[in-house]
Amino acid sequence: MKIEILEKNDNVLRVIVRDAEVSLMNALRRISLAHVPCMAIDEVVMIDNLSILQDEIIAHRLGLTPLKTDLDNYNIPEQCSCQNEFGCTQCRITLTLDAEANDGTRTVYSGELVSENPEIVPVSNKVPIVKLVKGQKLKLEAYARLGTGKTHAKWQPVCVSAYKYYPKIITPAASCDDCKKCVDICPKRVLERKDDGKVTVRDLYSCNLCMDCVDACPKKPSLIKIEWEKNAFILNLESTGVLPPERVLQEATKILGQQLKEFEEQLKVEQQ
Amino acid sequence: MIIPVKCFTCGKLVGDKWEEFATRIKAGENARDVLDSLDVKRYCCRRMLLSNVEIIDEVLRFYEEAEKRKETLNFY
Repeated sequence: MKIEILEKNDNVLRVIVRDAEVSLMNALRRISLAHVPCMAIDEVVMIDNLSILQDEIIAHRLGLTPLKTDLDNYNIPEQCSCQNEFGCTQCRITLTLDAEANDGTRTVYSGELVSENPEIVPVSNKVPIVKLVKGQKLKLEAYARLGTGKTHAKWQPVCVSAYKYYPKIITPAASCDDCKKCVDICPKRVLERKDDGKVTVRDLYSCNLCMDCVDACPKKPSLIKIEWEKNAFILNLESTGVLPPERVLQEATKILGQQLKEFEEQLKVEQQ
Repeated sequence: MIIPVKCFTCGKLVGDKWEEFATRIKAGENARDVLDSLDVKRYCCRRMLLSNVEIIDEVLRFYEEAEKRKETLNFY
């Protein structure tokens, strides 16, 4: 298997994976969505809420606010050694919010959450939680924990996790009558018409294999051909900011390995 | 009521982009250019910002008025 990085920045990872199977790619895709743990606020204790939004709505908004996650120093509560209903310092983190509008209307932002661990703070300080008018206040205590996306979407570390086949485009030869229909119809603008009238590929990786260009060609059979490589994929991960995307992928492979090991052990037990 | 924290469809964080989006739109910029510069690429996330109406601002006015009325009552 060969991996080639197409694009990588703080939140986006796009790689070409060659010599892989669909089943493996799909497993990685699903695991990064639903099984890689990340931090999110799970329980909120309202001390004072005079705002116009109900407690539940504020709690929901806090839950969805992504928190920077430290996977190495925290445990998933179900697997933590404390086995305590309320958690311990190893599996739970407290954030507090105390906001009051003293002069005029103001917005309460996620940046006002005070965390007991300065490493675990909201990804963005600018998420509006609620708006308060003069005299209203909001005071609460929130508990964040690790969880997985299969329980609730707030624990999803990635917002996009998708793969597609590596496209292979066979452009028309010189016999093409230069109608340019295939170039115009492409929604991703993959094709381009050069000055000499020849249709060439401009951006191969954007092609989503929709086949519109094949249908648009007036010649039958179509002069342009779209194919895909059987064992090559483009994997696209976009993180919400809780974890770097490459870390999500590493965790996903680790979890897949654990699941397979568990399966193997169960199989042995069954055979005995 | 208030801008949703995440995109309903994909889960991208859009809440933190609302204020910049709203001020720039009010300043007369083209919505497409603002969304592009905010790095909101997919149409699911774009509609979150494009179609949001901050009703909370309207609702808050009632509370402001009530507060003012209370103050005048105390004054007399």
